[in-house]
Amino acid sequence: MQINVAEKLLTLKGRGRKVLGCFPLYPPMELFYALDLVPVVLWGLKDAIKSTPECDKHLQPYTCSVARHLTEFVLTEGSGMLDGIFMYNACDTLRNLPEIITTATEKNGRSLPLFNIHIPMVLPEQTDASAYFKNEINQLINDLENRFGKKFSKEKFKEAVTKVQNIRKLMADAEKQVALGAIHFSDFSESVHACWFSPLEDQAGILETLINTGKNSKSQKTSLKTGVILSGILPPPASVIAAIELSGLTVVGNDIASLGRTYASMPKVSEDPDSYFLDFYYQHYPCPTLLYTGDRRTTSLFNLLDASGAKAVIFIGEKFCEYEYFEFPYLSKQLNDRGIKTLEIEIAIDDDAHTSAHRSRIEAFAEMLKSTE
Amino acid sequence: MSEKTHSGKHLTKVVGEAYMDLHARAAQGAFVVWIAINVPAELFYGFDNVVYGVPESHAALNAAKGAGVTQCEKAERLGYSMDLCSYARIDIGSVSDKGMDSPTFGLPKPDLLVSDTNNCSLLVKWFEVHHREMGVPHFIIDVPFCYEPQKEKDRQYIIRQFKDLIKTIERLSGQTFDEKKAMQAVANTSEGINHWKRFLTFAEHRPSGITAFDSFVQMAPFLVARGTPQFVEHYRMLADETEQRVADGIFPVPDEKYRLFWDNIAPWHQLRDMSGRLAALGTNIVGATYTSCIGTVEGSFELFAFDGGDPLEYCARTQNCYMCPHGMKLRGKSMKEAVQKLNIDGIVFASNRSCKPYSITQMDQQKLMTGQFGVPSVMIEVDHADARKYSRESTFTRLEALIEAIEAGRRAV
Ligand code: SF4
Ligand code: SF4
Repeated sequence: MQINVAEKLLTLKGRGRKVLGCFPLYPPMELFYALDLVPVVLWGLKDAIKSTPECDKHLQPYTCSVARHLTEFVLTEGSGMLDGIFMYNACDTLRNLPEIITTATEKNGRSLPLFNIHIPMVLPEQTDASAYFKNEINQLINDLENRFGKKFSKEKFKEAVTKVQNIRKLMADAEKQVALGAIHFSDFSESVHACWFSPLEDQAGILETLINTGKNSKSQKTSLKTGVILSGILPPPASVIAAIELSGLTVVGNDIASLGRTYASMPKVSEDPDSYFLDFYYQHYPCPTLLYTGDRRTTSLFNLLDASGAKAVIFIGEKFCEYEYFEFPYLSKQLNDRGIKTLEIEIAIDDDAHTSAHRSRIEAFAEMLKSTE
Repeated sequence: MSEKTHSGKHLTKVVGEAYMDLHARAAQGAFVVWIAINVPAELFYGFDNVVYGVPESHAALNAAKGAGVTQCEKAERLGYSMDLCSYARIDIGSVSDKGMDSPTFGLPKPDLLVSDTNNCSLLVKWFEVHHREMGVPHFIIDVPFCYEPQKEKDRQYIIRQFKDLIKTIERLSGQTFDEKKAMQAVANTSEGINHWKRFLTFAEHRPSGITAFDSFVQMAPFLVARGTPQFVEHYRMLADETEQRVADGIFPVPDEKYRLFWDNIAPWHQLRDMSGRLAALGTNIVGATYTSCIGTVEGSFELFAFDGGDPLEYCARTQNCYMCPHGMKLRGKSMKEAVQKLNIDGIVFASNRSCKPYSITQMDQQKLMTGQFGVPSVMIEVDHADARKYSRESTFTRLEALIEAIEAGRRAV
């Protein structure tokens, strides 16, 4: 299965939906759904975007592939299919993109409204930023109401919260099927990815189909395999996942920003968006882009290892993403001190050229893990 | 100019004394804070015995003195990627063996780390490395990026954080904050910056009274001594002496034919070589966004002076002034004004893979300056502190092409 993102957006437009392109990974989805908008997280567009000629007119080659694919998509295929873009302060690269993109689209005679909030990155034990944050959320609601002519309703919000939480639960259930060896990690990753480009009402179906495939599968043989956790910003490309699975490793858990970190936390259901999102962001599963979660990252990884029984962690580095790279040396040391083996793989925009090198390293790593079992 | 002039010699004295004082007072039990470059250091003068070190500035000094690559390699051997900001790698490398190879023997061990998201949030990740390795508390100042002039709600949010920082230092150091003393420090900084701005105006003269390379080097007191009377004295001396030299007809590039403007951090490892080689071409980089933004607010390089009111309000208002914490349109506005004021012939966009916050938007900025405003420009590749990522020959090929484009433009008029 490969997701045709442009086609998905066209379908949404065909159904008369308003689509909001989200630059960062953890947008306040529930709020958008409550206002009848469809948020699409513009990450992991590598399969949809084969080259980046438009983006290359605006961004230097040392910009990460996430930002480059996203820019290319919004300036080309995605242009005309988005009704606005949403942004918060996720990273130093992303924060510069909205102006680049809106300037370019304006030149083409199209205005793309930008909705922007600032998520306080202070440590809650040092500064109470809750009033500031609530104001940001309320301002966002105002801006969206004004732009799209919809009135916010607490009931619809609560309904959206309940549905999104169900989706998160289904994602976690699907991940369990991967851990059992019943479905491939790449299928799981693509299904989660497909949800990002689908309206809320279609997402449960995508995930349930996947879970049922797993349940009906006869290939539940994890006990024979060595469990690993994948950690990083994006899942590795399908060729790398295949190399992992073919070398006898099973992905029994993930600490991937675009996967596990998006569904691992479950804020308390509420009809009040400001307190709901305060809980959502502050109790969020640790991610280096949420700066205040730094101290919790190691513990979360240890907990994930304990819960999954994984023997090793494979770090998937996104070339030019500093956020993860500042943490890898420390995390590796902590894990190695506990007897957990680690491997670091770097994925770049043009990474197809390195597939065989990755495969060899993964095979050697798998051999080493088996020999120490 | 810096080495030969009184202010050049005085600079060495001010910086040397600042580092010696930092080490000496730390050894005597002062509370040591490591800060991001733009944390308002003036607040620390509100305490009796708090000193501060600036890892970014220390990294720049290492790079300027030729130790940058050595320190970067130490960090890389520890597993830190070569793609990380070279300031961070230099600092992590230097800390890894307690300041070995550093011209200042490193920085004394901190009691508190204070990072700031305004220039970049990756600095928070960098300081977290020290927080984990040294077990030192870490305070994060979070400054909202602005696409438009700073908003009141954001200013109040920043002020609240400054107040919490003060409380944190009081709690950790056992010292009491005296706002009057901090206010005096803010006033000193503002007065010193006033002289700094006066110094920069000599770039308006033809030929220019200064080079951007002078201003890069002369930034150091801003990083290690702001808030002090010595800071005021130094910049007064610098501006007065430059004024006198201009009056006496002494210019760094007397046969100045081309006036350029620099966009990005200083190329610390190339200052002498680049300025000498450009001067031989009758070319002077007379100004830079990097040095012009000090003491301003986003979107303008005009001085934003302290009016004697609330010092925290002033410090908060200037938190977005550097180039990285504000958007492309605001950057373009201040750059355009500077280019007009300084009669700039061409712009050098130094694309710096080590500093993405400064560099991303440069391609569009270049289109704006050249395409829309007709100022010739060139994009070169420079890492501010890692000399391995710099090619002298390809840089000068491009700079010479820029000069030719300026010449061609003149011939066409
Ligand atoms: S991969 Fe890293 S640098 Fe790139 S957009 Fe994501 S967080 Fe930012
Ligand atoms: S990335 Fe740029 S702004 Fe951030 S610490 Fe490095 S040089 Fe400074």
